[in-house]
Amino acid sequence: MSARRLRLSVPVRHPAADAAASRFMAPFSRRELFGLGLAGALGVSYSGWLPRLAAAAAGKAAAKQGKSCILLWMNGGPSQTDTFDLKPGHANGGPFKEIATAAPGVRISEHLPGIAQQMNDLAIIRSLSTKEGEHGLATRLMLTGYAAQQAAVRYPSLGSLLAKELGSDESDLPNFISLSPFRMVDAGFLGPNYAPLTVSGASNDPNTRANLALEDLVPPRDRGDAALKDQFDILRFMTRQFDENSSAEAVQAHRASYAKAMRMVETQARKAFELDQEPAELRDAYGRNRFGQGCLLARRLVERGVAFVEVTLAGAPGNVAGWDTHADNFNQVKTLSQTLDPAWATLMKDLRDRGLLSSTLVVWMGEFGRTPKINPNGGRDHFPMAWSVVLGGAGIRGGQAFGASGADGLTPERAVSVASLYATICAALGVDPKKENISPEGRPIGLVDRGGEPIKELLS
Amino acid sequence: MARGLAIAIAVLGALVSTAFGQRPAAASAPRMTSQELAEWIDARFAEQYRQTGLEPAAAVDDATFLRRLFLDLQGRIPTVAQLRDFLADQGSLKRPNYVERLVNADERPDRFARRTAEHQSRVWRRMMVPASAPGAAMAVQLEPWLTRQFAANTPYDEFARKLLLVSLPRPIAGAVPQPPPVSDSDAAAAVFQRAVGAQPENLASAYVRVFLGVRLNCAQCHDHPFTDWKRDDFWGIAAFFSGDGAKPAAPQPPPTIVADSTSGLAFSAKLLWAEKPLEQTPAGKSPRDVLAEWMTSPANPNFAATVVNRTWQYLCGRGLAGSVDDLDRVSPQERQVLDDLAKLFVESGFDLRWLIMGICQSRVYQQPYSNDPANEAEGFTHRPLKTLLPEQVFDSLEQALGLPVAKADNGPRFNGLRDQFVARMNEAAPESPADYKGGIPQALMLMNGQLTADATNLDSSRTLRAVVEAPFLKPEEKIETLYLAALTRKPAPQELEFLLDYYRRQPGEQERKQAFAQMLWGLLNSPEFVLSR
Repeated sequence: MSARRLRLSVPVRHPAADAAASRFMAPFSRRELFGLGLAGALGVSYSGWLPRLAAAAAGKAAAKQGKSCILLWMNGGPSQTDTFDLKPGHANGGPFKEIATAAPGVRISEHLPGIAQQMNDLAIIRSLSTKEGEHGLATRLMLTGYAAQQAAVRYPSLGSLLAKELGSDESDLPNFISLSPFRMVDAGFLGPNYAPLTVSGASNDPNTRANLALEDLVPPRDRGDAALKDQFDILRFMTRQFDENSSAEAVQAHRASYAKAMRMVETQARKAFELDQEPAELRDAYGRNRFGQGCLLARRLVERGVAFVEVTLAGAPGNVAGWDTHADNFNQVKTLSQTLDPAWATLMKDLRDRGLLSSTLVVWMGEFGRTPKINPNGGRDHFPMAWSVVLGGAGIRGGQAFGASGADGLTPERAVSVASLYATICAALGVDPKKENISPEGRPIGLVDRGGEPIKELLS
Repeated sequence: MARGLAIAIAVLGALVSTAFGQRPAAASAPRMTSQELAEWIDARFAEQYRQTGLEPAAAVDDATFLRRLFLDLQGRIPTVAQLRDFLADQGSLKRPNYVERLVNADERPDRFARRTAEHQSRVWRRMMVPASAPGAAMAVQLEPWLTRQFAANTPYDEFARKLLLVSLPRPIAGAVPQPPPVSDSDAAAAVFQRAVGAQPENLASAYVRVFLGVRLNCAQCHDHPFTDWKRDDFWGIAAFFSGDGAKPAAPQPPPTIVADSTSGLAFSAKLLWAEKPLEQTPAGKSPRDVLAEWMTSPANPNFAATVVNRTWQYLCGRGLAGSVDDLDRVSPQERQVLDDLAKLFVESGFDLRWLIMGICQSRVYQQPYSNDPANEAEGFTHRPLKTLLPEQVFDSLEQALGLPVAKADNGPRFNGLRDQFVARMNEAAPESPADYKGGIPQALMLMNGQLTADATNLDSSRTLRAVVEAPFLKPEEKIETLYLAALTRKPAPQELEFLLDYYRRQPGEQERKQAFAQMLWGLLNSPEFVLSR
């Protein structure tokens, strides 16, 4: 069943949220509509993840296109004026000094010296311009590419979109892994197969927390391999018994989670989470904190074919509100920069050393920027009008800053929309920005919102 | 016997009154019983079936009914003994009677009413404070207060007024915050305000969502794109929360709030659906008093409808009409049935127990689940699968595994294991009953975590040992007992066949014993364990 036929033949009369909310006294002619829509969604989105009954074979890790993406998510909205778009000499500038980088003419904050060294592989966009200044809604906007209020569609997150495009169904690891997320944006209508594995580190065990270990990956010691296989056989049988071919979302989600969890147990996730296998000096270089070790884990995951890894920086020693620096902005940004800089710089080097940088796109962004004007509390407030995002690695022409925000930081020049940012990310990874997914209502939803065009200058 | 007779008479009465298609006028009417309410609900649905030509699906069997009822009211599955007693009961009214028992009976050792109130408090806490709220982590502190209200069956309008009028002590600079005075038993309700974030903006959107089913927060920054809500609606409600709660002796001009400090844009207190701001607050009343009176009044179009809709969602998996948080999107037909039920609820004296019992005693509550979300009839002839809450999963495991619950035994309830388990499950807790969010970490915990390891260990698991060591049980009876303990049902023939075959393939005595451990492991990890049918 083609997307086009669905689009033409299915009048969408009811937003998804409402359709899911109630059936009472609804017009029953919609039965057919839902049958069609769901078949479309099943055909397009849910294929190929049914639990494989064969015992796990040697894992095939290669991603479909061999490309991966690491998103460094700066929760709270980082100040562009104190990181990548300084305003020396202007009243809005603040106390931070600008330093030269490896890329001639590109200058950034003095508190990002390691990043400065990597600038030849990084491109700054200084003119991202959005319209959402509320954390939750802006997070949805930046992590899905669509304004949350636009329609009652459950938009998938960037990670889910790219997991679908770049990931392999045969992978031993989930194609989307999120490390210490703060605000979750899920797979939306793409369904459970593209939902992230979140490594939260909520454990009370300090060792587990520091190591970002995946808890309970190892079966109890007294359970042998034979017992494990028997258990899995029995569970697969019982799952089929409960609801063979059920399309109830809850059953599908359960089945998808268990299929992936069982596979990870069988293969022990190919030791991806065993950070103690890394040399101590390298772990030190990344920084012995959750974000630093998260970046190291991201590299190990990408090495094993994971398509999308998100690492969140939502705090640092002495900082609790992340980048949401309404007060005491400069001390807070300096502290956060000191966590960010070694982790990200080491990640760039490490990826390059292993030949992974040319196939791995690194994206640095938050939900919005911060006001160039400094408020009476020495802070900066939410500012979506003109702010900075950084791209690097796969498909990106590094060593440049694209766009500008004017002398005072208030006015975007060569403004970049979220849609164009998404189109650029897709293009850098070799994904067609014009591609569409079909929502359960049979509606085609582009990977990129309307009007998004890749920025040619940024692509290599 | 006497109670059975009374219910039979009530049923007869309900049949007579619905047959005439009219309710007697509220003023002179004796209070409707919950059984009459059940009859009313079923009559409304029957009318719909007639109009649409759809057939209601056959009611679920006794075992499914009991599991469902225990999960919905007690927050856990029934024991094997409770199930066997229920199956053996030949009374024709055993289902409605059991509903009443779980809601009202508070005798030891079961304390059914108490547990129902506790479970209700968890459901309400999660509904009132979504996981995304600023203080979501502290919201559990609201549960003891909620439990007291539900256990005392506080009329719902009074319950809402307590939550609205409780004052949050203003922090005094430099002073250590003091716990609320013990004398004020309702002071704990203020946790709600702290959890949603105590600024007027947060309070406005939280109270209006929870009690009126209106999503107003979009109108904080701009007029609502899909509904008629404007900025003066949002800030008009927020203004009620802006003052210090004083009750001056003379009428006062309405409170105002500054929405935007840079432009100085200010709004006056205004009630929803009102054309103009309030003219004044009456003598002796705070603005919050005015808001509470208006919000909880029987005349408020959304107050009773919202709680009726929420209770329906809590028990049946989906709201009776539309999205429970957003009544603006409900169709007029849906709204009609909701309003009719809301009217009965008001006439009952805002009696939540009566409402819960009425719904659970209806035939509609006994609809089988639908395994197909594309089935348009779901929620109408079928109900959706419901995902267990984190505490429901733990408490059901505790029940199925016969874990020690006495403090002296230092079981998981007391040694921290329950807290750890619930915390991990909470990372992926459902946002609405039909929503399953459990991911790989939750699956791994159920597969390999401490609780499951103990449960499937022949030395440490009570349930397993009882089954494996019972000399009088044949293997098929042992399998049946495991099914009853974990899934509240007997195995289907093909299930029994598959598992017996597995059992017989084991080479020796020890392996055959171990086979039951693997079966129990499978049952605890199966989707049927965490999804309520």
